[in-house]
Parts: sequence; C-alpha cells; structure tokens
Amino acid sequence: MMKRFIQIVILLMIVVNSRAQNKNAGLLKDSNRVVILDEVTVISKQNIPQRRLVNFFKANNASTLEDILSRLPELSLTRRGAYGMDPAIRSFNGGQINVLVDGMRIHGACTDKMDPVTIYIEPVNLETLELQTAANGFSSGASIGGTINMKIAEPDYLNNKKVTGIFSSGYQTAAKSFYESLRLNYADGKWAFRGSVTYRKNSNYRSGGGEKINFSQYEKINYSLSVKYLQGNYNSIRADVLMDDGWNIGYPALPMDVGYAGARIGSLSFVHENRQKHLAKFQLKGYANQVHHYMDDTHRPHVAMHMDMPGVSKTIGLYSEAEININKKQSLLLRADASSTFLKASMTMYQPGQLPMYMLTWPNNKKNQFGISSSWLWQIDSSMKWQLNARVDYIRAALTSEEAKNQAGIFDYQQASKNNILKNGSVQFTKKINNTIKTNASIAYTERVPTASERYGFYLFNSNDGYDYIGNPYLLPEKALQAEISASYSPARNRVQLSVFYSRIHHYISSVTEANVSTMTIGANGVKTYRNIPHAFISGLEASCFLKPLQKFDFVSTLRYTYAKDYKDEPLPGIAPLKNVSSIRYQPNKIFYQVETEMAAAQNRFQVSAGEDKTKSYTLWHVRLGLNSILFKKNIEIQTGMENVFDKNYHEHLDWGNIARPGRNAYLQIKMMF
Amino acid sequence: MKKSFYVMLSWASIIVLFFSSCSKTEIPGTSPTAGYTKITEGYATGAAAKVEVYTTAPVIYTGYTNLYIALYDSVSGSRIENANIQLTPMMDMGSMQHSSPFENPASAQAVNHLFPCSVVFLMPSAAGNWSVSVAVWVNGKWGSFSFPVTVTDPVKSTLKSFTALNNGTKYFVALINPMQPHVGINDMEIAIYKKESMMSYPAENGFTVLMEPEMPAMGHGSPNNVNPVAIGNGHYKGKVNFTMTGLWQVNLDFMMGADLADDTQFFEIEF
Repeated sequence: MMKRFIQIVILLMIVVNSRAQNKNAGLLKDSNRVVILDEVTVISKQNIPQRRLVNFFKANNASTLEDILSRLPELSLTRRGAYGMDPAIRSFNGGQINVLVDGMRIHGACTDKMDPVTIYIEPVNLETLELQTAANGFSSGASIGGTINMKIAEPDYLNNKKVTGIFSSGYQTAAKSFYESLRLNYADGKWAFRGSVTYRKNSNYRSGGGEKINFSQYEKINYSLSVKYLQGNYNSIRADVLMDDGWNIGYPALPMDVGYAGARIGSLSFVHENRQKHLAKFQLKGYANQVHHYMDDTHRPHVAMHMDMPGVSKTIGLYSEAEININKKQSLLLRADASSTFLKASMTMYQPGQLPMYMLTWPNNKKNQFGISSSWLWQIDSSMKWQLNARVDYIRAALTSEEAKNQAGIFDYQQASKNNILKNGSVQFTKKINNTIKTNASIAYTERVPTASERYGFYLFNSNDGYDYIGNPYLLPEKALQAEISASYSPARNRVQLSVFYSRIHHYISSVTEANVSTMTIGANGVKTYRNIPHAFISGLEASCFLKPLQKFDFVSTLRYTYAKDYKDEPLPGIAPLKNVSSIRYQPNKIFYQVETEMAAAQNRFQVSAGEDKTKSYTLWHVRLGLNSILFKKNIEIQTGMENVFDKNYHEHLDWGNIARPGRNAYLQIKMMF
Repeated sequence: MKKSFYVMLSWASIIVLFFSSCSKTEIPGTSPTAGYTKITEGYATGAAAKVEVYTTAPVIYTGYTNLYIALYDSVSGSRIENANIQLTPMMDMGSMQHSSPFENPASAQAVNHLFPCSVVFLMPSAAGNWSVSVAVWVNGKWGSFSFPVTVTDPVKSTLKSFTALNNGTKYFVALINPMQPHVGINDMEIAIYKKESMMSYPAENGFTVLMEPEMPAMGHGSPNNVNPVAIGNGHYKGKVNFTMTGLWQVNLDFMMGADLADDTQFFEIEF
C-alpha cells in the first residue's frame, strides 16, 4: 500500500559512484546504488548528473522507509501487513542479505519476520541508503544477495549557534494516517547536535473497491539524537542513539498482530579523515542494540487459545574501516568487524484450568562473528579499472542455555553449535567505451550461514503455507557463484542503463515436509524442516532510463524481471514478476505536475508448496502536484496527490494471504524548513 | 567377602588419609540420606538391628514408591552394610486384606550405605490401613519391623490397571519416570505387575508397549519418542519427549505378542 507516497526521495538509477564527498570510496563502489534521503546533504554531496535526478524525485518526508525501498528496481518486499515488509535484493532475502544500520548489525526479534529491521528506522534518521549487490554486497558481512546499509544522518555544522530544522506533517485518506516529524540541528563550534522525532498513526486502510482491511493499523514513534565533536582538523567523535517504538501493529495476513515492537540502537564512532595522506580515512565504531517484540492475539476474534509470544534480540559489535591511497591509481579499503547476536523467543499458551504451556520458539542462541575484508581498486587509465574484493568470516552459532539444549535435544540436536569459515570474493572490471557508453562486468563467489530460524527455529508457524517449521542445525552454508554485466548509455542529459545478473546457488536452503512429525500449531497443515538442496538459480535484469525530452519535462522509468528455479526446474518461491514504474513530470515554475504508472505483470511461476498462487497483473495510476514557496519568511513545501486513482483492487505476488492493497488514496503533506 | 574387604580397605584408607580426626562422623554434605525424608524407625529385635526407612518425598502417593532402608547395629550403632531384606506390604481393609507389588533390595550389599527397595501402593489409605513389614537377616539372625504408611492419591494418577483383553488377567502399570519432567527428552520408565492373587503381584516382562504422548489442549504430539521396552523385573524403559510445558497425556498400548491387551491407558503429566 505504501506505494502511495510516490514522491520518493531519490532513486539513483545510475550505477556510478555515490559519495562525491568521498572520492576514493566513490570509485570503489561502482555497483552501488545510493539513495540520498536528505535534501540538504544531497546538494552538497552530489555531482551534477545525479543532482538532476535528485531534483526529479523531491523528498517526500511522509514516506516510510519501505516506500522508498519499494521504488528501487533491485528490491522487492514481502508483505504480511501494512507495515513491517521484509526486503529482498534481487529476490535474495532473509539470511541471504545483510540489512545494516550504519554498518551495524541488528537482528529483528520476531520469529515470524514481522519486524525486519527496516521498520525501526525512519527516513528522517538517514542520510543515505546504500544498496550493494553481488560483487560488492559482502564487504561488510558475508552475504550471497547483497547489503542494504542505512546510513544514519550526521549533525551538520552549516549554521553555527543557530537552531535549524524541518517540520513535516502529512495526512492520507486510505488509512486515515497521520504523519508528524520534527528534525532539529544545532552547532556550536566543535560541537554539533541533531535530533528528530517522528510519529505515525494509521488506521485500517480501505482497499481498492472500498473494502476495509481489518488489522492493518499501526502506530509508532521514533526518536534519534546524534552528537558530533570535531577534534582538530581531521578527527571527529560521534555518538548516536536511536529509539523506535511501535505498537498495535496489525498483520492482516497473519493470525496475530504485534502489541509492541521496539528497538534501542546506540553507537560511538571515531573518524579520522585526511585526504592528503595515504591513510585517507580511518573509522572505528562500537555499538550495541536491543530489539523487543511482543505478538498479540487479544484483538482477534475466534482465537482458539490465547498465547503470548515475546522475542528479544541483543547485539554488540565493533568495526573498523580504513581507506588507503596506495598511489594515484590504486587504493585499498580495509574492514574488520566482530559482533555477537543473542536471540531468544518463546511462546506461552493458556488453557483454562491447566498449567501454562511454555516453549522456546527461538531457543536461546548466540551467533558470534568475526570478519575481515578488503577491496583493492586499480584505475589503469581513464577508461579502465579493476576492483578486487575479498572477505573472510569466522562465525560460530550455538545454543546457550541448558533449557534450549534440552529442547533441541528432542530432534537430536544437542550438538547444535557450529563453526563456519566463510569466504567471499569478487572481481569487477569497468570500461568506458567512449564518453557516453560505460560497461561493467563482475563475477563473485559468496557464502552465507543459515539463520537462527533455519538452524534452531522450533515449530515456527508460517501462515503463508500453513506449516510449522523446525530448524536444522546441520545445514551447510549456502554458496553462490554470480555474474553481472551492466552497461549505461548517457547522451547529453539522458541516461539509459541495463544490468543483467545470474546467480547459481549451491546448497540452497529449502524446506521439506516431515510427514512423521505432528504439528504444534492448531490447524497447521503439517511440519516442515530445512535442508540444503543441490542448487538453484536466480537471474534477472534491471533497466532504468532518465530522459529529458523537453526542457521542462522529465521522464523516469525503471524495469525489473527475475527468473528463478531450483535444480528440478521448479520455480523458487518469493519471486516478484516483471515490474515497471514510470513517471513523467512537468515543472514549468515553482509548481510541478507528475503522472506515474506502476505496472506489474502476472506471475505464473510460483511454488505451490510454499503457499503461493498465481497473481494477476495490474496497472496503477498516480498523480502528484507539488509547490515550493516562501511563506512568513519560511521555506514551505506543499505536496498533494492521489495514488491508485482508479481505485484498482490488487495485490502483489509477494503479499501473503493475497490481501488487497490500498485503494484510492489522496494525500496532503506540508514541510516547513526553518 | 573379598570385594567387601577391598571396599572396606579403601574406605579405611580414605578415612585415615583425610578424615582421621573425625572418623566417626560422616562427611558433611554427603550423607547418604541427604534430601530424603525419614518416615519411620524401629528395631528388628531378633536381628539386633535398628531400622530407618526413608523416602524421596515427605508424602507417599499411590503408585510406585522408592524406599531406602538404613540398618544399624542396635548395640554399637555402626552401620550394617550387608543384610538380606524382605518386604511385605499389606492393605487391611477390615473385611479383607491384600498385598501389593514390591521390590526387595536387589543385593544384600548396601548401596551408598542404604538398601533401596520399593512398594507399589495400589490405593490410598482412605480405603484402609497400609503397613509394610521389613524382615531383616543380619549375620544369620532374623528380625522384623513393621510400620504403618499413610498413602494419598496424587493429583495426577501414576498408577493404572487394566484387565487384559487377551487373557482376562488384571495388570497394574506404575509410572516411575519422568518424576521431574522438563521440556526436552525425558526418561520414560514404567513397571507392570500381574495380579496373580490378593497376595501375589509378580513383575510382568511379557508386554510390548506402544507409547504416544499427546497435548490434549492442542491436539498435538511430540516427535522422536522411544517406546518403553522390558528391561527385567517388570520395568520398561524408553524416552518421552515434551516440546513444551503444560498438561501432557502419555498414551500407552499394551500388546502381548500379536494380541492387544489394552489400548485405553494413559498417564497425565503436567509441569
């Protein structure tokens, strides 16, 4: 549904470097997508072609992070409710990708994936969103699918001894949702402070055609505070605290909702940066975070048995990064990181007259990880460059309590601790053929360890296929071989780009029915466990174009397609169909007018055993209007529009339970900068 | 005798080496009856022996009850480590009397200074008066001590009985383990006795037992259980798995050869 705020902040369809501020890292990250979320920093950091895109996608402060993610062609989202969508990069999801907050690891506390960590971050918290695929996707953590890194915004020093800020407010009709956000910045000499508060409240939304979707409401508040201190010309110290509390979060596709989901994220960083020296940048960050999650069935009718399902995740970690300029043509990016994640989730069911039924759904377990990675960049000449990336991880996963071991012992899993050494490596070659055509090719070998649910999950109910899932600690790591080729053509002010990728995953973790094990969940279809299948394939393409046919017109379009199958040529689950999003904007003056279409093809390739079915194609139309003006000496931005203008009743292929998405939705947002 | 000589010798050397100053007292904290409840004591007069009877819990419930008997020389007060003990449990219901299944100590040699034995009390004391007579042979002398026992019914019964479909005989099934059930793998142990007469309840090793745990509130079972199999003396051992706390029902079917003897029995285990 959240497609409705379409004015995303920015969508960089280009494959080029990102952080203009950081030239070397920019060169290193050729296959990154970086979404800049903050207009203020965008202007100072972007190079000229990107700034055009930035100007095209004006920030919409009411967008949730999920809205923004959903606009990226590489990403798809598994939806269980109006909120808490699970991101996938090129259909790699869950444990196959890293979702990091400013390089920090954080793990959701829900056994049923109701809280992907993206729900604990608001766009206002962020400076950029880095999306790294294949060849670069493992530099901050072993991964076969890539990394989403949400970079937390820093306090700025632009206005000394002056409080500056942005206040945003919005309303949407489909879910009667309110959005209020305040961001403040203050700098005083060497000190700078940045704080933000965001509040959202959504009611049950109405789907296309007018039906109300029960249990789709949510409410949340998010706070962040950052303090930065400059020490000399080259050093800075920064402390960040981020808190996010959500409650009464409905999941229409699941049998339970969420009573409370909260995260506490804290970090302390030291940065040394001197572009003139060989050691251009050195960063050290220590962090800790904690997530609590409580599922709630008290609002649901016809609950067979009331149950409590709390979960907790605690992570501490440390990482250090260094950028070294070897000479004018070569540079090196080094990273070492270590983290420890503890997870525990339980379920207590209450039958009147009997003792409570208690079990661990994530038996207490810990994953300790230590890794080092390096990226070596060699700019041969102005048209060619090589990049080599390598990473090695030592990862230990173990059950930590006697209670957990006893419980896992039922499946003969007492020896549930596992040590893995993961190796990731890639080679990337970029060649500029002429001033308008640029090509890039990469191959990568990547590995990832199974997740806690895949290893230790104990009767985790999946409401999409209706099975209870039991973990398998003897799973082998998944290993993938990937290749990617991309080319861009950018004549004058236009740009067209195409990327094609192919991955062959060995020891792909799939599920298999355990006919002899009885279900735990009342009404479940059966029990499944995980196992490695010999191999699977995922391949696909992404295309994007940015055209300026006339002076005041902009046209932006993205397209993605993914094809995936297992070793028996059966389709893999969770594969979104062909999708295209196109926008055309006319901006004669301070007012812009924009029309958008969102088209998805039918998905006829689905996995029945994963609870999937055929999904119909759909086309949506959105119209938008924006105005920038100065009122009372304040810079005011007003945006309004209507999404799903024709009130189409539709759902996407990855939506659990085929719950219809929001219908016609009008919105109004006001943003005031001071 | 040779073995006991060596045991005594090794004990003596330990005592001499480490506890010479307190050789008469037991090692603190390692009393053989630590954690047990003494339910009675008395004298088996003819055998010149003092008899102390211990149980693992202060209350004796209907069903399989472990008893631990400590014997002391009634003159010197020193422990008796070697004796033959014969139990005779008896229920006096006024109009009639009956005995119950029991297990005498497996050996004349004390285990950790005690003689472990057991009685399967078939009913609570509300129905009449239970007594247990302990006959003791020490060094060729015989004596007897009898004591009353108060038996109450537990909340969840640990004793079942059925009349076998295949032969019409009545059998008693006593639950021995799990006594402290937990989530995970639990030892499952039952004992089966055949009612030959009011006074004779021999152990029955001839059954094949099929077990299936079930959580009645949710209608699910648990995986990877091991059916109890006969290990002698009427005892059957297996493994029962509980995937969560709460009320479990462990269903048992009894087969004798290819014939079904009973498929209606279950034990409720709640924790």
